[in-house]
Amino acid sequence: MPDLIDGSENVSVHGIMNWIFLLAIFSIITVIGNYLGYHHPMESSIVGMAILSLITLAGVWLERYLPFNISSILYISVIGIILAFPGMPTSEFVLHYVSQIELLSIVTVFLAYVGIGMGKSWDEFKALGWRAVVITVLVIAATYYGAAIVAHIVLVLTGVPAA
Amino acid sequence: MKRNPWRDIRLHGTVLVLVVIAELIGTIKIPITQDVAITIMPLIYTIILGLAFYLIKPIKWIHRKQARIAEGAMMLFIGVLIAKLAVSSGQSIGLIFEMGPALILQELGHLATILVLPIALLLGFKKEAIGMTNSIGREPNVAVVVDKYGFNSPESRGVFAIFIIGTVIGTIFISFLVTFSLSFLPLHPYAFAMASGVGSASMNAAAIGPTLAAFPGLETQIEAFAGFSNLLSFCVGIYIVIFVALPLTEKIYNWLEPKIGRESIMPKKEDEEDA
Repeated sequence: MPDLIDGSENVSVHGIMNWIFLLAIFSIITVIGNYLGYHHPMESSIVGMAILSLITLAGVWLERYLPFNISSILYISVIGIILAFPGMPTSEFVLHYVSQIELLSIVTVFLAYVGIGMGKSWDEFKALGWRAVVITVLVIAATYYGAAIVAHIVLVLTGVPAA
Repeated sequence: MKRNPWRDIRLHGTVLVLVVIAELIGTIKIPITQDVAITIMPLIYTIILGLAFYLIKPIKWIHRKQARIAEGAMMLFIGVLIAKLAVSSGQSIGLIFEMGPALILQELGHLATILVLPIALLLGFKKEAIGMTNSIGREPNVAVVVDKYGFNSPESRGVFAIFIIGTVIGTIFISFLVTFSLSFLPLHPYAFAMASGVGSASMNAAAIGPTLAAFPGLETQIEAFAGFSNLLSFCVGIYIVIFVALPLTEKIYNWLEPKIGRESIMPKKEDEEDA
């Protein structure tokens, strides 16, 4: 038992079949959550998740089998943008079904896995403590003021009236 | 006996149960004042319940093994999240060109988070600081950082911490921040509108409320700018993070850390190096 628990190679997400089955499980859970939370019909949600899973699969496959050192998320982004680009023959189909899947439904399932995975390093999280709260507050303020000030300057320079 | 990760019914079954519980509870809104409310979404229940299922001892079927599978699987599921964002980006690409330079350039204003890096170093953070200060740390940013550094890296712990704390206190904090700024900063109304699109649906909503109240008669424009800006922060924002913010944060970290870095506050590591 111990050597089954230790050694992450036992559970690495390699092999195309593993990817396909994991994405199928993730899709099923997401479709159920998407139905309970947002009442999107399950049939079209399944097609939507199948599209997203295929894009993901293509991305991780390209990362492993192309000789460039490019992360899968860039391949996935490019494929997704091209498929949904206005005027592409695929865009109507892809948009219709993918819009049935709420981003928050995906994130909700994703974060359940994150929560379970985080349990293992809980002590390190606890050590972040109040200092992390300080940083969070500052980061949110910086995002807001950074955007507000740049927007203000550009609006004034381009002469957009204030009403 | 090496089992395939997808066969771990205990893990996936638990996740299904957590998701069903979370979606059935649904979003809870707790009003504090007229313009300020705390919004708790299902996603915060699943992360906390997932953590609780691992940490609470009476639950016997979630162990280190399940946590490791969850980590590995999660790296793959990042792709689905990114694919959804990419489809939204492709769909809205035309709008981005129509909306004018202010809307696009203010996304670069989000780089201001890197100004927080020195403070993080002074508080005793090491590489966690890179994950914490490269962006506002919402879902797409979490995906990008975990994809780049691996689940068990200090950078990922940093961005997870910002994500969780931001989810809990972000909405209420930004409500107060916006209310305060509206009365003290003489900025363009549309600048306030665009700034409220920080890249989080709940924080965006919390920031729009007081902004609408402050500029009566501009409701439609403010809502449109805030909505587009939030959409941009989600889709275009992640490419700014990948290509500009993260490399820049790393560079500044490498330059600044030897100068002002403090004793690390993190506990000594045992046998955890398995990213």
